[in-house]
Amino acid sequence: MKPTPYVGEFEYSVLLAVLHVDSAEAGEAYAVPVRAVLEDRTGRPVARGALYTALERLEAKGCLRSRMGDPTAERGGKARRYFTVTPLGVRALKAMHASLASLSKGLEALLEQP
Amino acid sequence: MTPATPPAVAERLLRLSVRDAEWRDAVLGDLREEYAGMFQARGSAGARRWYWRQSLPLAARFAVSRVLPAAAPPRRRTTFSVASVEAASLGTGWQQEFRHAWRALWQRPGLSAVIVVTLALALTANAVIFNLADALYLRPFRFDQVDRLILVASDIGGDKPYFDRESVTPADFLDWTRMVATTRELTALAWWDPNYSGVDRPEQVHGFHVSPGFFDLMRVQPLLGRAFTPDEGRFEANHTVVLSHAFWLRRFNADPAAVGRTLRLDGVPHEVVGVMPPRFAVPYGSEVWAPLAYDEATWADRRRGNLMVFGRLADGQTLATARDEIAGIVARQAAEFPDTNRDRKSNVVSFSRGLGDDAVGPFVAIWQAAAGLLLLIACANIANLLLARGTERQPEFAIRLALGAGRGRLFLQLLIEGLCLASLGITVGFGLAAVAIDYSRNFLPATVVRFVPGYEFIRLDLATMTAMAAIGALATVVFSLVPALQASRAAAGGAMLSGTRAATAPPGRQWLRSLLAGAQVALTLALLVASALIVGAVNRATNGAMGFDKRNLITAHLTLPNGPYADQQRRRAFAATLLERVRGVPSVTEVAVISALPYASLAPSRTLYLDGQSVDDAVPRTVDLQRATPGYFAALRIPLVAGRGLSDGDGPDAPRVAVVSQRLAEDYWPGQDPLGQRLRLEKDGEWLVVVGVVGDVLQDWFTGRRLPTVYRPLAQDATLSMTFVARTEGNPTLVADAVRRAVAAADADQPIESLATMEQVIAAKVTGIDYFAKVITVMSGVALLLAVMGMYSLMSYLSSRRTREIGLRVALGATRPQVIWLTASRAGRITAGGVVAGLALAATLGRVMQSALFGLVTPDPWVLSAAVLALAAVTLAAGFVPARKAARQDPWAALRSE
Repeated sequence: MKPTPYVGEFEYSVLLAVLHVDSAEAGEAYAVPVRAVLEDRTGRPVARGALYTALERLEAKGCLRSRMGDPTAERGGKARRYFTVTPLGVRALKAMHASLASLSKGLEALLEQP
Repeated sequence: MTPATPPAVAERLLRLSVRDAEWRDAVLGDLREEYAGMFQARGSAGARRWYWRQSLPLAARFAVSRVLPAAAPPRRRTTFSVASVEAASLGTGWQQEFRHAWRALWQRPGLSAVIVVTLALALTANAVIFNLADALYLRPFRFDQVDRLILVASDIGGDKPYFDRESVTPADFLDWTRMVATTRELTALAWWDPNYSGVDRPEQVHGFHVSPGFFDLMRVQPLLGRAFTPDEGRFEANHTVVLSHAFWLRRFNADPAAVGRTLRLDGVPHEVVGVMPPRFAVPYGSEVWAPLAYDEATWADRRRGNLMVFGRLADGQTLATARDEIAGIVARQAAEFPDTNRDRKSNVVSFSRGLGDDAVGPFVAIWQAAAGLLLLIACANIANLLLARGTERQPEFAIRLALGAGRGRLFLQLLIEGLCLASLGITVGFGLAAVAIDYSRNFLPATVVRFVPGYEFIRLDLATMTAMAAIGALATVVFSLVPALQASRAAAGGAMLSGTRAATAPPGRQWLRSLLAGAQVALTLALLVASALIVGAVNRATNGAMGFDKRNLITAHLTLPNGPYADQQRRRAFAATLLERVRGVPSVTEVAVISALPYASLAPSRTLYLDGQSVDDAVPRTVDLQRATPGYFAALRIPLVAGRGLSDGDGPDAPRVAVVSQRLAEDYWPGQDPLGQRLRLEKDGEWLVVVGVVGDVLQDWFTGRRLPTVYRPLAQDATLSMTFVARTEGNPTLVADAVRRAVAAADADQPIESLATMEQVIAAKVTGIDYFAKVITVMSGVALLLAVMGMYSLMSYLSSRRTREIGLRVALGATRPQVIWLTASRAGRITAGGVVAGLALAATLGRVMQSALFGLVTPDPWVLSAAVLALAAVTLAAGFVPARKAARQDPWAALRSE
């Protein structure tokens, strides 16, 4: 079994956003809606280049898998690159999640205040 | 409609920078997809801006990851370790060379940034100029086989100062179409700027009457509908019209049903039969074309030449054979019709040459020279910085040589470093150039764009980018060669042993550096002087003596169509109604009509015949003819020198009178009283009695000549083309609406061609030269910036190298001024040398500009001194700052520093 890769804060957000888009419409997660979800949910602007870099790195780490769709006219004859989160990616997410949870244990009073 | 497409250049840039094909598709596609939404939300311009903002950082990001496969190396301030030197000399791949080069650059980020910015600025200047030269001068017309097209003009002799394109008589043209064999498809065009009326906003549109075969000749097919049929070239045929794409968009919102509709042009209904594809607007930004349909009498005319003639060379023929053949035909015509054709000569030129703007040539040449100077300055600057860097790296080179690296290898390494710098500079330059070219394009006002062939090609295109990359590569070779040669010549033993900081560079190299810095100063001075001269010329043209008061004047120019206004009485009535109405506007103090407004249009010339003086044909007696209403001299505040001005009494039936300009009176009646003299403007024309003399007016700023002028009362000779002028109290633009309403009241179908204050008219007229001046000024500003950067970095580098020496001097009792003098005096010597060389260069450049720009530019010792002082002050300051810093340091810290 491959060791669980470490993902950074931004990569963590990107993985979550991919999962969101993927669960809404299976197999339809590509950069445009992923960026929209990220900006929507975090309320912060996301640099396009940063997103592409993160996606590429996550794929290199084995957390994401990608496939090319069919070229469409509205994209000037260019295909979409769709991403799905791999089991390894889910494991990385869980690990990150668990470490965050254990770190925040005992701080609920502070963190969960409105 | 075609789908919205993002800026092609930005897309190309991005495509080039993404290495992986799948990523390339994904990234470009994502942007396309979002661009469509942006286009809907923000419109074309907004979406394009958005695309550039999105794509440039992306391109930069991908470009960096392309050359740096791994993450950027950490910024370490250490020289190469022995291990890495060994790796360098043993390793082979180019990739490794590049990785070394990148690492070397990252070690001195500040220095690398300065070099990249310097190079980017110089490249941007060169790209802008290259693009302007290419678009406006080298290739202003780019349609299929444009090199096979020719323009035929004819010439009746005489002293026209310009190339008259519209000069062929109808009968001559008909003869040519029958006789010419070297050229197929001769086509005639006649100027036709009709009034478009019968709509809410009547306007004057630009157009031409053309032979039915015109579009075939140009090898352009209509986008919608059809071109003209040969039948439509007959007189009395139905009136048809073809629209340009721009006009169709503007007035018909791209409605395909426009074909078949009817337009009122000059009061005559014209059926729309076709719409041309985008960007076809030949000649002069035409918006409409109608068939040239003369009656028999007009086609037989051999006197009045007003046709422009285009042709396409037959296969196997050249411009020279066409020229010979047409010259032969014209000679035969001259023999056959001696009355009309005796002096006619033909003039056959290529299409681009014929329709291009001659005046652009010298401008472009001077721009190009300035851009070249700027590039040299940048190269000198960068070479100097790299030389300094090379000295610092002497020990590194020495070690590598000692460990067995070949000299060639070192040389190569430095060249590769130069290439890396250049590629960064070029990338940054692309972004800057896109912005700068866009700016230079939008700077030209819409009114002149029509007469700027090639205007639509002012954009960052592939040719410009290629040229930029080529110039960048060339510059790299220039600026890395010297340091590379020096490095490879480095004395291995000495440098390694001499430690790191003790020695400054050998005297030879210091001399070279000072020379480079001095050259920068000299080149900058030349550019400063050139731009000061040209700015002075523009200032004289806009604010110099004109003979009238340009302030608080509103002007409205219009041309009445000949049909309804064939009768002089109707023209007078129109003018009278309009004057009456505008006079009623509260803030208007004076109002008048003039046939040709100074600075706006040229007055027609006439030959002057004087009562009692014999006519000598050898002496040119050309005068300008103006028609004016009585209030004209008061409205423009042209002083009355003698007699009276024009008055209401000078009506259509009153005795014929004229007012002449002072210059005319002095030229033709020296020492006599001009009042009461008689003159006429045609050999057998009516006599005019001089009733007054007025001050001279500068009609045409470009020639700067005050032509002798005859003013006739408009009531006695009403013209179709008129300009209304009204003097106001306060801001003249406030009465613009009142003027517009007055014109509509006088004739609802009559468009105003231009409504502007006199100051705007003048500004528009000097646009070309103003544009030229601004471009040069920006370039000299950049040059000054580079020179200052160069001087500053050189001086601070030199003083940092002398830290220990200075510390020692201070410790031994040198005062602060002495220490400052030590470094600053060197800056002074460099500046002085540079200024002397620069003055010689500036004098040469000034002379070239003087001859190229028709005497507009006059060398001025004040300008020269001001430029020298400004430059000297700035460069000395740039040298002084590091010197003072050096003097401030603690001597003991300095001595311990190594």
